[in-house]
Amino acid sequence: MTPPKNKVMSVKEAISQFVFDGDELVIGNYTVGSCAELVYEVIRQERRGLTLYSQSGIFDIEVLVGAGCAEKLVTTYVLRPAGRRGGSAVERALQEGSIQIEDYTNFQYNARLVAGMHGFSYMQVLEGAMATDLFRKRSFLGDDKYRVIKCPYTGKDVLTVPAANPDVCIVHVQRCDKFGNAQYWGALGSVAAAALASKRIIVSCEEIVEHDIIQSSPHLTIIPAYRVNAVCEVPWGAHPTEVLGYYNVDQMMYGLFMTMDGTAAGLKEWMDEWVYGCTTRAKYIDRYVSKFGSKILDAIRCKAYYSAPANYGPAFTSRWDNEGRERAMGLTLAEFERVLKERGKLYD
Amino acid sequence: MTKPYTLQELLVISVAREIHDYENVILGVGLPTTAGAMAKALYAPNATLMMESGIIDFEPLLPLNHIADAHSCRGFSYATDLFSAFTMTYRGFVDVCFLGVGQVDKYGNLNTTCIGDYYKPSIRLPGSGGACDFISYSKRTVLTMLGGTFSEKLDYFTSPGYLDGGSSRDDSGLFPKGSGPSMLLSTKGVFRFDPVTREMYLAQIHPRVTIEDVKKDVPWDLKIAPDLSETPHPTDDEVDFIRCFSPAASAGRQLSMELMIANLMKQNKL
Repeated sequence: MTPPKNKVMSVKEAISQFVFDGDELVIGNYTVGSCAELVYEVIRQERRGLTLYSQSGIFDIEVLVGAGCAEKLVTTYVLRPAGRRGGSAVERALQEGSIQIEDYTNFQYNARLVAGMHGFSYMQVLEGAMATDLFRKRSFLGDDKYRVIKCPYTGKDVLTVPAANPDVCIVHVQRCDKFGNAQYWGALGSVAAAALASKRIIVSCEEIVEHDIIQSSPHLTIIPAYRVNAVCEVPWGAHPTEVLGYYNVDQMMYGLFMTMDGTAAGLKEWMDEWVYGCTTRAKYIDRYVSKFGSKILDAIRCKAYYSAPANYGPAFTSRWDNEGRERAMGLTLAEFERVLKERGKLYD
Repeated sequence: MTKPYTLQELLVISVAREIHDYENVILGVGLPTTAGAMAKALYAPNATLMMESGIIDFEPLLPLNHIADAHSCRGFSYATDLFSAFTMTYRGFVDVCFLGVGQVDKYGNLNTTCIGDYYKPSIRLPGSGGACDFISYSKRTVLTMLGGTFSEKLDYFTSPGYLDGGSSRDDSGLFPKGSGPSMLLSTKGVFRFDPVTREMYLAQIHPRVTIEDVKKDVPWDLKIAPDLSETPHPTDDEVDFIRCFSPAASAGRQLSMELMIANLMKQNKL
């Protein structure tokens, strides 16, 4: 394996190096803590012809579809900004025929990524869906949306979905080291599977931390460094959605987005200001504060409720005790080497 | 005489009473999470509340924004992933789940995907999310219908209720025996399913609602329970809990939005 490499770069560099026209792109986050800044940069760099995967299909999908980045969508859920009355970017794109959608259940979607993550070619899913239109109505995947096989052990019909291995995953986490060890906690959803199934991984994080922070809390690491291509430090990188331990959802900004998303013109106006109008997240936050003040952001910062430390410490970290004797043999290094010599173990 | 209550409070309470102590409960966002919080606080302290995002055994302190909302509780007991939340359902560990309704037919089959043609919908609804798999494998399912419609024929069949009625769900071999929707709550009443025909009937009716009010929303000849009763009056404890935990749930979406906007205007002196 190559030695650890510093993968820290700007969001602009990361998207330009690792996201291409026509890619299958998966949004790693599920409902919460969306990788908003990475999504906005994909839009600003005008990627086209993407096949988007999103478990929750919320505002991240709305802006990508609204911006014309996507031709195909694999999802389980479509946002409705104002309940039954409010349209959505996905609804508009379906009506004008500019996007094709493949609908799965939450589990089936996740199972496709789990199969991909583990190197399997398909995954068994829950057979009840065979009674529904999810099974019967298919879009661009056609026969390959689902296949039914016979279980070799029970002889029963088993519903399966094909593995998904998207070209690139974009994902936001709480913290990461410069090598790409990404730590995430809270609602785990399908975040790890989305990242690990993908060929390339771009991680944005609230903060970059020293490697020893990662070493002392490996249970929080969901993506190991060797899989990661780029690390971007982006405070407030998921705003207006929330990041556990950092900030709550910004109801005001999310509400504003939902109001504007109901029409194509409204969404464009919102994106002109908040996506195209801000070239970095720092500029986005500056604009936010100059427009709304800092009161709302201050009010949604998380209070501390720390995880109890888990002790990863061993009894000792050297075979030699405090007196310089080997713990089992009881010899000093000099005594030990004398024995090796006496027994004829040493070669000149 | 007990405390006066709102219709929204009555709905939450009707759902909460479906949760029993020691049950494993999958909560969907909105009314069910408030009902779950109330059940846990008042009558099911040992219930395990779960969400498909992998947040397991939590005690909500605030109304939840969505099903991955770890910000609404102070920690929780088990952090797992979505995949495992569904396989635990498949294996039979979930007693009851709660689903919202877009369209529903007389056998409790659901559409939450679209109105009109699937490929060019006039309205694109959210989709399955967790619904199809949860109603398939949860031991029972409670349906909550706040804005949905009753329909003879679904525009899209998202989630399986009792299929064609009778024993067809059990006969299909796709689902655990005896599983399926146990009740449907609407803003007008509580519906249950006949144990033999599996057809939905009106079991309880909310105050100030007539049978004709209910029937006019239903395109088939809705059967009415011979012992039709009025939905029971909430207790003071129940009303107090909701008003304290989620004042917006007591007021309902429209009124709470109105009050919120008025406050925003006042705060910003607009």
